[in-house]
Amino acid sequence: MTGYLTFEIRRTLRDAKFLLFAVALPVGLYLLMADRFADQGAPASYVMGGVAAFGAVKTALDVGARTAVERAIGWQRQLRLTPLSGGGYLLAKASVAMVVALPPVAGVSLVAALVSGVHLSPGGWAVAVLGVWAGTVPFALLGLLIGQFATAQNLQAYQGAVVLVLSFVGGLFIPVSTFPQALATVAKVLPSYWLAQVGHAAALGDGSDGGSGQAALVLTLYALVLGAAVAVRYRRGTARA
Amino acid sequence: MNLHDGAPALSVTGLRKTYGETRAVDGIDLVVGRGEVVALLGPNGAGKSTTIDMVVGLARPDAGEIAVFGASPHEAVRRGMVGVMPQEGALLDDVTVGETVTLIASLHSAPLPVEEALSRAGVADLADRRAARLSGGQQQRVRFAMALVPGPDLLVLDEPTAAMDVTARREFWQSMHAFTQTGRTVLFSTHYLEEAEAYADRVVLMHAGRVVADGPVSAVMAEVSGRTVTATVPGARAEDLGALPGVAAAHVRDGRAELRCTDSDLVVRELLTRYPEVRDVEIGALGLEDAFLRLTGVSEAVR
Repeated sequence: MTGYLTFEIRRTLRDAKFLLFAVALPVGLYLLMADRFADQGAPASYVMGGVAAFGAVKTALDVGARTAVERAIGWQRQLRLTPLSGGGYLLAKASVAMVVALPPVAGVSLVAALVSGVHLSPGGWAVAVLGVWAGTVPFALLGLLIGQFATAQNLQAYQGAVVLVLSFVGGLFIPVSTFPQALATVAKVLPSYWLAQVGHAAALGDGSDGGSGQAALVLTLYALVLGAAVAVRYRRGTARA
Repeated sequence: MNLHDGAPALSVTGLRKTYGETRAVDGIDLVVGRGEVVALLGPNGAGKSTTIDMVVGLARPDAGEIAVFGASPHEAVRRGMVGVMPQEGALLDDVTVGETVTLIASLHSAPLPVEEALSRAGVADLADRRAARLSGGQQQRVRFAMALVPGPDLLVLDEPTAAMDVTARREFWQSMHAFTQTGRTVLFSTHYLEEAEAYADRVVLMHAGRVVADGPVSAVMAEVSGRTVTATVPGARAEDLGALPGVAAAHVRDGRAELRCTDSDLVVRELLTRYPEVRDVEIGALGLEDAFLRLTGVSEAVR
């Protein structure tokens, strides 16, 4: 298991293009939007939370969903002829997704601090970076789930749609407070909304937890449900093949 | 190995597998002794791959028992007792040959040295090359190295030479042969009659999910590739005809002799010489061969 994890981490870390894009996209988006919503009560620190969440969500989903390609070419089949268990494989993939989800969050936060002069308490920064990063777990699992349903051909479409819905409807770019009532209700069902809440809570942090406790609870529940779905689906896929 | 001393390398009883309406494997019994090199021969759709998938734990049988050195397929794979080269199963494009084989070795508890597996498979010089830059035949040999690196006692190869040209096939079988000379057991599937003939001790002929012939290569070859000569031979006894050179078996029915031949030309010459009164000579394909070749299209593979 650790042998496989090391292999996967090394593989991912030498994919410079992927890593650069994973960080550059959210950082670019942040720079575009940092001051856009200031007059609507959403300062740069608020935008930072949403965009950092977007970067983490997209990267974690990408890594998980790319397992569809490994399934298609028969690599998973090859691994089933080794002592590596299905659980070991999935855990390694989820871990890699988490490893690469950190740079986008850290990158956006760093740019926000250096360029926009966002000031947070040390505790606030911890939540803004580590809190958002830890909250990415359900998205890594969602990516793995997509990887088990999608084919190598329709993967891009699936994943694009999921990322779009999660980020726009989940309020990662546009504050949910500006949404019509019905859409705002839908937003609150999505895990991305709650991940953004973690980031926003850190930005608006005034001593209170700003609802991040509730967000942590919702995200944990999502992680448990998605984790179970991934495990069940993988076992079924294995039995059928 | 130490757990199940004395158990055959592979033992399969009453194996069945249905996909939808198709009975892919329809009741197979097979025992492979240690040190045997067995070819699973048959055309596409005969059930070879399904059988192999079940033997190595990639597919679950609907019915039947499988024991690999007395253990379940999963247990055998987990303990590195069986090395497998599945028919499908590709390499990761962005990873080098050396890294791939090193990874597989790291997952096993008592692997061969990676360099040894690479050189046995004849890909030592490709260790630094990424899979994306390998030919089809080279990829197959890398996958052979992946099957070797656990240090297995049983090798299972599903159509190992499918993607290879003639030269690559010859080289592949040379490295295979070196492996079997160390006393290991090999089960490989093929639809090339001549591969079975050249490299196996024993042939298991499959058709429509069943075993239709099983035995030493020479016996099965005689059955599959032989012809029959039928003739009216006054006064001749089946025993005498059976002793003619080129005859595998002889029957006399209603005054007509039916001779299964390993060499029908020789048989006809002998018949005419020894029994001048012979008449109504017919030479035909053997019933089984006829059926096999026509139903299965092996003739194309045999050429």
